[in-house]
Amino acid sequence: MANYDFDAIVIGSGISGGWAAKELCEKGMKVLMLDRGRMVEHRKDYITEGKGPWQLAYRGNLPPAETDRDFIMAKWGGANLTAQTHYYNNDRLNPIDYENSQPFRWVRPNQVGGKSLIWGRVALRWSRIDFEANKRDGHGSPWPIDYDEIAPWYSYVEKFAGIAGSKEGLPQLPDGEYQPPHPMNVAELWVKDRLEKAVPGRKLISTRTANMTEDKPEQGRSRCQDRNMCARGCSFGAYFSTQSATLPAARKTNNLTLMSDQVVTNLEYDPKTKRVTGVRVVDANTHQAHIYRSRIVFLCASAMSSTQILLNSRLPGNDRSFADSSGMLGRYIMDHAFRASFWGTVSDPALEPFIAYGRRPNGVYIPRFRNLNGQDADADFVRGYGMQGAAGRGPAGAAGFGAAMKEAMRAYGPWTIRFTAFGECLPYKDNTLSLNPNKLDRFGVPLAVFNVTFRDNEQKMMRDACIQGEAMMKAAGLTGVGSINEEHVPGDAIHEMGGACMGEDPRSSVVNRWSQAHDASNLFVTDGSQMASTSCVNPSMTFMALTARAADYAVKQVKAGAI
Amino acid sequence: MTVFDRRGLLATATALLGAELVMPLGRALAAEAVPGFAPSQVQFTPEQRAQVSAICERIIPATDTPGATAAGVPAFIEMMLADWYSSQERDDFLNGLGILEGRSWTQYEKTFPALTAEQQDALLTIALQEHLGGDFFNHCKQMTILGYYTSEIGCRQERVYVPVPGHYDGKYPYAQVKRVFSS
Repeated sequence: MANYDFDAIVIGSGISGGWAAKELCEKGMKVLMLDRGRMVEHRKDYITEGKGPWQLAYRGNLPPAETDRDFIMAKWGGANLTAQTHYYNNDRLNPIDYENSQPFRWVRPNQVGGKSLIWGRVALRWSRIDFEANKRDGHGSPWPIDYDEIAPWYSYVEKFAGIAGSKEGLPQLPDGEYQPPHPMNVAELWVKDRLEKAVPGRKLISTRTANMTEDKPEQGRSRCQDRNMCARGCSFGAYFSTQSATLPAARKTNNLTLMSDQVVTNLEYDPKTKRVTGVRVVDANTHQAHIYRSRIVFLCASAMSSTQILLNSRLPGNDRSFADSSGMLGRYIMDHAFRASFWGTVSDPALEPFIAYGRRPNGVYIPRFRNLNGQDADADFVRGYGMQGAAGRGPAGAAGFGAAMKEAMRAYGPWTIRFTAFGECLPYKDNTLSLNPNKLDRFGVPLAVFNVTFRDNEQKMMRDACIQGEAMMKAAGLTGVGSINEEHVPGDAIHEMGGACMGEDPRSSVVNRWSQAHDASNLFVTDGSQMASTSCVNPSMTFMALTARAADYAVKQVKAGAI
Repeated sequence: MTVFDRRGLLATATALLGAELVMPLGRALAAEAVPGFAPSQVQFTPEQRAQVSAICERIIPATDTPGATAAGVPAFIEMMLADWYSSQERDDFLNGLGILEGRSWTQYEKTFPALTAEQQDALLTIALQEHLGGDFFNHCKQMTILGYYTSEIGCRQERVYVPVPGHYDGKYPYAQVKRVFSS
């Protein structure tokens, strides 16, 4: 009988790792959770929370020299903002590599809690058509699960996380377990009313978000205070993060051991039993290596990191990963395309007397409307996109200078509304993450090599988003309508997915319908790496649901003596 | 971050300053920058610092609220030149400052800070209308606006700062505040 240090090891402490730790601990397992980043404790370590612009280093912004030196990728996720720079990976110390000079923006966190501290908090369910998409149009590996399979798990995680949203009855964006939605402002309601009348089938709704509108006293969390300083950490616990929600729950069981600054380099594997036998870490500070052993392992290091760890987990005497008998490990790397935007001005004088009080943490959302019932006749692409936006009024600009200008700047400019499309990226087998065996990082791990591009379908989809967006703004009666379709660089949306995709067939996928590795029965890969497609909606709720579901299955298998 | 988070500041600042941003500010804003004021190296001679202070104070003077110098804008501009401007842009700015100062001497036989407020305004109007020193006036104006409205005085006295709003009202009457809420 093997000698285990823990019942389970969870690698990573972000949205997926936090859920894995909570679920496994609550089911009575002794859990070790590892994170490569530094420790950040709820409240105590939110060092910039509540500060005004004048209290932040450089008034909030890192000078270009430092940004370009240390955060060449992370700046695309906000590392250049000094209110939150401390939550990001240093790209100079932890570099990546490229193949064919294809750029990839891998925005990584640098702490326990991972990206759950700095995420966008958009909390949407995938729909039936999302899970059927690969099967229907033949791209990628077909999903082995459908919406009905995952729906109860969405409900389970939504109730705990605290999601604010409206029920809309839309098949392409299923309703969940929601607290009341955050309110829309007067201009958004104006646009909603006119858009929904002018273009039947289009909807404008309050973005479903993991910022609560009701307290959760049982978790010690309060509703959102409309500060919009979420990415600094929130002492109210108003938004879902590992620190505010899953970590306290896991700790309450006394079953959790949490270790920060532990860089997992690879998993040890026994080909005879087809089991993972150990998790090898290097301490980020001392560079000491250590191997921890457990009955089961949950790999939740983030889509790209989990893939990198698996690629670096070789069969004994072989340079091939034990998890790659399918040849699919590191393939189907995806991200949402999201640099297509459009906007307009609400010129109705009836709105002129009003401004917004408070800083709402969310905005508004136009759910997918393209290719919902088969292929639209006028669409030259498959699948679709959703649109995130908000209306607001900035301070008025003023000509000249002096007291008159200062007085004029006490007024507001017009109400404008702006949206950005999030487009589904198709799974391409040759969009890859691999390792460069000739370049090792400071922990001895081969650098991740990205070779990922958006292609014709994504480009056409984003062009369509601009055309449709402008048409909607005009139909709703807005003025000054415009759009821009900027360069789409993979990784930019920070919705990277794939690399260890889920599928029924062990010959064409890496994990099975339970997020369990085909090649190792005691290994579960439950973060974004398991995704076989991207949908067009934000993925975090799906990672949560799949993780909770996998934990439930894994513990049942352990109890049954199967793994 | 949401797209809204990422884009919000740029949109706001562009609205604040107009579409024709001077280059270093365009860069700073594209990087979502609202720089502070702690220059990594000294940029001004004492005379230049006095000139910049006088210019800022005429752009945003003390009225019923304090003006740009009280808000520390000159030091903010010095930081911007040190940490955000390229050496060429920095040279252009200092050159523009020299041209304005030269005009002050030819026209009034005094250094700019020693002029009356009316004389200073007259010279700044020339700088604005005749593009004295190229885009010098625009640089001064935009940096003054950014520095002022991100200062504590700008946020809390000129504008209304609510650290913990507690709720959101998307139909709040402007007449109740008659000021801009700072973020």
